[in-house]
Amino acid sequence: MAFLEIRNVSKVFGKNTFAVENFNLDVEKGELVSFLGPSGCGKTTTLRMVAGFETPTTGRIIIDGRDVTDIPPNQRNVGMVFQAYALFPNMTVAGNIGFGLKIAKKPPEEIKQRVDEMLRLIHMEDFGDRYPYQLSGGQQQRVALARALALRPTMLLLDEPLSALDAKIRIMLRSEIRAIQREMGITTIYVTHDQEEALSISDRVVVMNKGRMEQVGPPFEIYNFPQTEFVAHFVGTLNAVSAEVIDPAAQILSLEGQHLQTSHELKGLRKGDKVMIAIRPERLSLANEGKKANLINGKVENITFLGSIVRIQVLIGQSKFYIDTFNNPYLELPKLGEQVEITCSREAVLVLNHERVAA
Amino acid sequence: MKRIPIWSWIIFILGMIYFFLPLISVFEFSLRKIRGIYSFEAYRLAFIDPRFYQNFGLSLFWSVLTITISLLLILPTAYWVHLRMPRWRPVVEFFTLMPFVVPAVVLVFGMARLYARVSFMVELPVLLIAGYVVLSFPYMYRSVDAGLRAIDVRTLTEAAQSLGAGWRVILLQIILPNLRVAILSGVFLTFAIVMGEFTFASLLSWPAFGPYMEEIGAMVAYTPQALSVVSFLITWACIGAIQRLARGAPELLAGTR
Repeated sequence: MAFLEIRNVSKVFGKNTFAVENFNLDVEKGELVSFLGPSGCGKTTTLRMVAGFETPTTGRIIIDGRDVTDIPPNQRNVGMVFQAYALFPNMTVAGNIGFGLKIAKKPPEEIKQRVDEMLRLIHMEDFGDRYPYQLSGGQQQRVALARALALRPTMLLLDEPLSALDAKIRIMLRSEIRAIQREMGITTIYVTHDQEEALSISDRVVVMNKGRMEQVGPPFEIYNFPQTEFVAHFVGTLNAVSAEVIDPAAQILSLEGQHLQTSHELKGLRKGDKVMIAIRPERLSLANEGKKANLINGKVENITFLGSIVRIQVLIGQSKFYIDTFNNPYLELPKLGEQVEITCSREAVLVLNHERVAA
Repeated sequence: MKRIPIWSWIIFILGMIYFFLPLISVFEFSLRKIRGIYSFEAYRLAFIDPRFYQNFGLSLFWSVLTITISLLLILPTAYWVHLRMPRWRPVVEFFTLMPFVVPAVVLVFGMARLYARVSFMVELPVLLIAGYVVLSFPYMYRSVDAGLRAIDVRTLTEAAQSLGAGWRVILLQIILPNLRVAILSGVFLTFAIVMGEFTFASLLSWPAFGPYMEEIGAMVAYTPQALSVVSFLITWACIGAIQRLARGAPELLAGTR
């Protein structure tokens, strides 16, 4: 039995606006699962149902074997961190962290001890007497995390906790959150629309779209083997184009009139069928002389320097392809307008779930 | 340093003259009780009158009652509207503007006619306080509403809930302390209005500071002007208190949204 069980949960706003539709998920104890998706995909609504701020229209939510679907949020013992920090402005850092313990009527010595422990955990031992307005955004969010953890909740829920912070702080803080989560072994749900954040921090990622789960899996699987066109597009940069099946048995496709072989099985497909294929930019490269397989001709349209990566844009027929290559000072780059041959392995050519594509 | 244009100064000075000239005139007139010299005789006479203390004390009591009932009514309503019924905010705002739409005379006669047969309403100052509460609506509601807009009510409430807090704790320990300045602003405005109010007290025949000033004004010169100046000073003291207590509040609320 999983630690968190979300069973057939749906949330309907108004008469028939499905914010979340038939959501099912099991989260194991100590696992960090991210809900990833664009705005309005239902990720925050799902999190709020787990927290108790929204009631599911249908379905049940079970935490540690206890059905909490109809239990109010203040009786769930679930810690929550909000995007807007939500620190109590009238209380000091120590007051904020100790608030939940005070509500739980813990003795003052225990509260002080626990607050000190939490301040050490977030490396803010000297900030106990400060007010939220005296802290930076990153520090405020650390305090919010400490406050949520002080009560030793059964679960930790984070609702886009880093969205309001600048890029550097975000990267630093997400590592800290992950380290603290691992140290405490607390089951965590992390909502974000930032795919890099979700991939870097999670044990598993739930990609959501229009209130439905698109794909659930470890970050490696989500990135390398997207099941649907939406996941493929949403997670990472992707070259996704339509191709025609030429020989299903030999797994040969036609892309803009040029042949391409995939390792993906083309079961149930016939010659002439259209499929959506996807190739990650880093799996493509400019072909060396002598390379014979999976060669495609194209024209260099643009070259963009992205720091550690150089992105080459190649036009193949009417389709634009991106090729990512690691930057090095001696890199020989083609010229704009030059005809080039690009290549990739058979494994790099993903055929997306054609039923979902058709939908 | 940025120079302020001459026209700004002219408009500012004209505004100051428009506002202060009548006040200075009233003050100057109130000092002329003894012919030929300036003195505070009118003030002395006002302060030795026992009816001054009686009426002032009663108005003070009415204002405390009004403020208490108004707060009990407005605070939870405004909080709930912000938290759960934001779409109803314009409707509530419309109702709170009633004293600006319905004149006090109409309101008091309406209430008197409607409740004349309910004895305790006539014997006790129920109608007076009810009228004052209605009169305080625009000031109290708008102050509290502005305070609630300055904080993220929903997230703070949810944060407190996730930490195990119930509604009473949330309201008393989270929302109220962060509305301190807004509440004080509403309280002092209500206080100033009730202290000087005439129509309700006069038409419902309850003693208060407003009717007392009017009565004195009909009988003697100089003393009513002195009382007017005192009344202004009370109002200014209230505004000064709001300003003083508001110090530091903007910093406290910074970054909470």
